Amino acid sequence: MSHGSIIKVPFGPQHPALKEPENFLFEVDGEIVVDVKPRLGYNHRGIEKAFELRTYIQNIYLAERICGICSDAHTTCYTQAIEELLNVELPPRARYIRVIIAELERIHSHALWVGIAAHEIGFDTLFMYVWRDRETVLDLFEMISGNRIHYAMNTIGGVRRDIHAAMVPKIIKGLDFLEERLKYYLRIVQTEQTILKRTVGVGILKPKDAVNLCAVGPTLRASGIKNDVRSDDPYAAYDEIPFNVITHSGCDILSRTLVRCEEMLESIKIIRYALDSMPEGIIRVQVPKKVPQGEVVSRVEAPRGELIHYAKSNGTTKPERYKVRSPTLANIPALCKMLLGGYVADIPIVLAGIDPCFACMDRMAFVDIKQNKKWVWTMQQLRRKYAKE
Amino acid sequence: MGLDYAAVKKEVRKRMTSETIVSLIRILVFPGAMFLFALAFFYEWVDRKFFARLQNRYGPLHTGPHGILQPLADFLKLLSKEDITPHASDRLVFALAPVFYLALPLTTLFVIPVLDPTSFIAFEGDLVFVLFAFTLIIITVFLAGWSSINRFGTIGSMRAVLQMLGYEIPMGLVAFGPAIAANSLSISRIVGWQSLNFWLILLQPLGFAIFTVCLLAELQFVPFDIPEAETEIVAGWRTEFSGRKLALLRLGKDLELVLASALIASLYLGGPQQFWLIPPIVAFLVKTTFAVMLLSLLRAVFARFRIDQMLSGLWKYLLPLATLQIILIQAGLGG
Repeated sequence: MSHGSIIKVPFGPQHPALKEPENFLFEVDGEIVVDVKPRLGYNHRGIEKAFELRTYIQNIYLAERICGICSDAHTTCYTQAIEELLNVELPPRARYIRVIIAELERIHSHALWVGIAAHEIGFDTLFMYVWRDRETVLDLFEMISGNRIHYAMNTIGGVRRDIHAAMVPKIIKGLDFLEERLKYYLRIVQTEQTILKRTVGVGILKPKDAVNLCAVGPTLRASGIKNDVRSDDPYAAYDEIPFNVITHSGCDILSRTLVRCEEMLESIKIIRYALDSMPEGIIRVQVPKKVPQGEVVSRVEAPRGELIHYAKSNGTTKPERYKVRSPTLANIPALCKMLLGGYVADIPIVLAGIDPCFACMDRMAFVDIKQNKKWVWTMQQLRRKYAKE
Repeated sequence: MGLDYAAVKKEVRKRMTSETIVSLIRILVFPGAMFLFALAFFYEWVDRKFFARLQNRYGPLHTGPHGILQPLADFLKLLSKEDITPHASDRLVFALAPVFYLALPLTTLFVIPVLDPTSFIAFEGDLVFVLFAFTLIIITVFLAGWSSINRFGTIGSMRAVLQMLGYEIPMGLVAFGPAIAANSLSISRIVGWQSLNFWLILLQPLGFAIFTVCLLAELQFVPFDIPEAETEIVAGWRTEFSGRKLALLRLGKDLELVLASALIASLYLGGPQQFWLIPPIVAFLVKTTFAVMLLSLLRAVFARFRIDQMLSGLWKYLLPLATLQIILIQAGLGG
């Protein structure tokens, strides 16, 4: 095609392939991407500041609203951090319920991703089918917690709702249906020629690059690297439940799809085991409102990868500093690497390949590169600056 | 001095007037423009509904029985919408492209037999004219995207032309298969030949398959919706069009669908034939509906190809197969 004529093609902040407000500026030579510049920060929500203004109990609900899809991962991470500061031991039953909810969430998040990925490569029929079957998980959530998306299951010192004996057969039934459907979709992904054409060898991320650029989650595992917080640094009841960490060594979009599909099947096994061996007992313990002084870092394997929360307490009822590092942010450098040298037609699927959740990711810091200086502005300073301009 | 010139003149004028009115009705109402527009809206509905049911959705539901009036409602609504012309665009081409895009398939449909086995305009070589019109449609697409001076439009129009380079030759080759069998380049004669012999789908199944695949590409349906790939380049070459122009483009696309299905019906399924008491028009409608449903089915079961994969696939596999079909016919099989 054309040579020497480089067109700049913007993707986002409003674009049908990018459902969230983030901007990528591509330099395109014909159909080949020669450069990509991400511009983050369209969706700064001031959420970390909001954490500092609210009490620890209120913050559970704020943490839940960092992300709509992995709402449980964020509350697990938050409550875990605060529990460590409080030095509280979780009741065993609560730990198992946390695992069950986390794995159901993984199924629902990965199923959502498979649908989106199918849509990105123009396979809308698969998209519709996967999302129809994903309703099963959402119905299970509604039965367990009363909500489809924001389950509000976690609280500091345990979980808020029990999984009763009457629910167990219904969950098992839902899982059986899902397992059968997921196996069918896995077979389609592995055999359908047009899907293979669009996913094999696309968006290559070599294992060395994946490690150097700090990729996380299924993106990292699809490059053949066995890394999963659930097995490396077990939380909740993961130390008592046997499961496999799924890896694939294809380093491309197909591997990322297979990793996610097989992780869903693995999640079903984990939930079955957890339902079977869930101990009886209380589901929460009372905790004091004031949290003793200290600092803590908490890690959780969210559906999109390793999620890190940091909390600093000054002995009052509100945190002094709170920091959230969502998995999407960790995957952005790796994403830029994957896009280089690819086709324009592959941009959407490669972008979608890391399962981005930009709304959870955006934070703000002021950086002056020339003077190598970083600072934080107060609200008054911001008002003064922008009132003038 | 037996001739009354005035009377003859009057008689001629009278006859000409009535003939003109009849042909005007044939062109404008039935089986001309109005009928074809109605058919276009109907087939858009068939396509949308069938596609939706394949995907386990409902599809159009509320306007008219089973949503049958939804395409018409969409068209009317678009007509009333604001019509935006980008500042940088080539205004003349930008305004004319939708008109051409609508007029081309409409004009071409007149050479395809609808009402009876002979079309409204039939001449030796109208098959070549149809193929030529298909190419012109793509050139209009290119002009539409190019004149809008939009990045997505530019990429879309470039892809449309590249795609044409892939499917045009195999399509042209296999379209001559029926012509060789019927020993005529006229679509009406090909239809006539089929009513005396067999349907050509039975004689040239390979040609039928190749022709259908090429029509998918011509119509920009999945897996060949590359020039308007929504997730990659927004609406591709149509990105900047709105209001009346978009309405015309959509109607043009529907007419293209009618043209494609009518061509499948005429070349391979025997076209409008009389069966016992059933009039030819019914046979035509049944066959074209089948063709539309076949095209929707195909677009439901694939993912979208990339432009390079599409081109290499068509040149590597479809072109040799098309050549094979012609060789088979020359060898006495399927003709």
